[in-house]
Amino acid sequence: MIELIDVRKRYRLRQVLKGVSFTVRKGQITCLIGVNGSGKSTILKAIMRLVPIQEGQILIDGKGRSGADLYEKVAFIPDRLTMPPGMKLSDAIRFMQDYHRRWNEARSRELMAFFRLDASERIGNLSKGMAAKFNLVLGLAQETDYVLMDEPFAGIDMFSREQISKVFTSDLMEGRGVLLTTHEIGEMEPLLDRALFLRDGVIVRDIDCERLRDEMGKSVIDVMREVYAP
Amino acid sequence: MAGLGDFENVVFDPRVPVYLQVVRHFKELIATGRLRSGEVIPSRRELAAMLNINPNTAQRAYKEMEEQKLIVTEGNKESRITTDEQVLRSVRSELIESEVEAFVRAVRKIDVPLEELIDLLQRKYKELAGG
Repeated sequence: MIELIDVRKRYRLRQVLKGVSFTVRKGQITCLIGVNGSGKSTILKAIMRLVPIQEGQILIDGKGRSGADLYEKVAFIPDRLTMPPGMKLSDAIRFMQDYHRRWNEARSRELMAFFRLDASERIGNLSKGMAAKFNLVLGLAQETDYVLMDEPFAGIDMFSREQISKVFTSDLMEGRGVLLTTHEIGEMEPLLDRALFLRDGVIVRDIDCERLRDEMGKSVIDVMREVYAP
Repeated sequence: MAGLGDFENVVFDPRVPVYLQVVRHFKELIATGRLRSGEVIPSRRELAAMLNINPNTAQRAYKEMEEQKLIVTEGNKESRITTDEQVLRSVRSELIESEVEAFVRAVRKIDVPLEELIDLLQRKYKELAGG
């Protein structure tokens, strides 16, 4: 389990996170929802210790972790590819292999084939959709218990989105805890176990999606309207 | 035999529990004979992939169908549609009854006399069946 306990984060004078608490469980897909600029990415980066937090605790399977200890437990897929454009895909994969102890070569090959990516291509030549898929390969080929994904569906075409959503139902995700962020739910609604709504620096709703439908007859989008309506 | 198309292109209502919609879909396939007595059905994960739904939801739908005795799973083997003819027959009548009930409830709100309704029903039924 990933646990955030009263996490507070300030960028200069702006208090972005004002006491964020939630958990991410193994075997579940949890979606962190918030409008642009609400601090979703900051939360993921805080879990990865890429940005410091002023107060609060972030525990992964019961303890605070950093460095290799953290990377063995959690894979992070940022909102865009961070590899240099001149690099070939095969070079980027080799780099990941050297860097991550949890790298699974067979799984990376499987993912490359699934997304029909050509390893001899250069990163700079990839279309937006292809780059998003390769970004997923780099994250998902790490055999970690948890995966964090920042806006995996943003700004890519419908067919790429459909292909990416297939990953969530595949055995690649079996047993893992997934935390993804989005500012729009769209067609991924039936994929989610839980939805967390971030507003004004705190989690204002924490929802079990099937229970929401069962008990309230509402959709996640209905709740989004309630939470973010101006 | 159910084809792949029977498990794709299912449109979900986001306000109704997905697992119940999956159960309902299976009942429709059974009632129309596309899933037959004793037929092997996809694994939970295969179904999740085909319908693009959360695997935990697929699991829950199968559990519900096991409880309703629509499907049987022996140990770690694949799941099958029940061979209990009585259960299979009741699926069809249950579906028809619930749809007719929903229709009657909706139409009663506008106070249509039964005779007029039956006339209309016959005409519409032919119209839609022809189209």
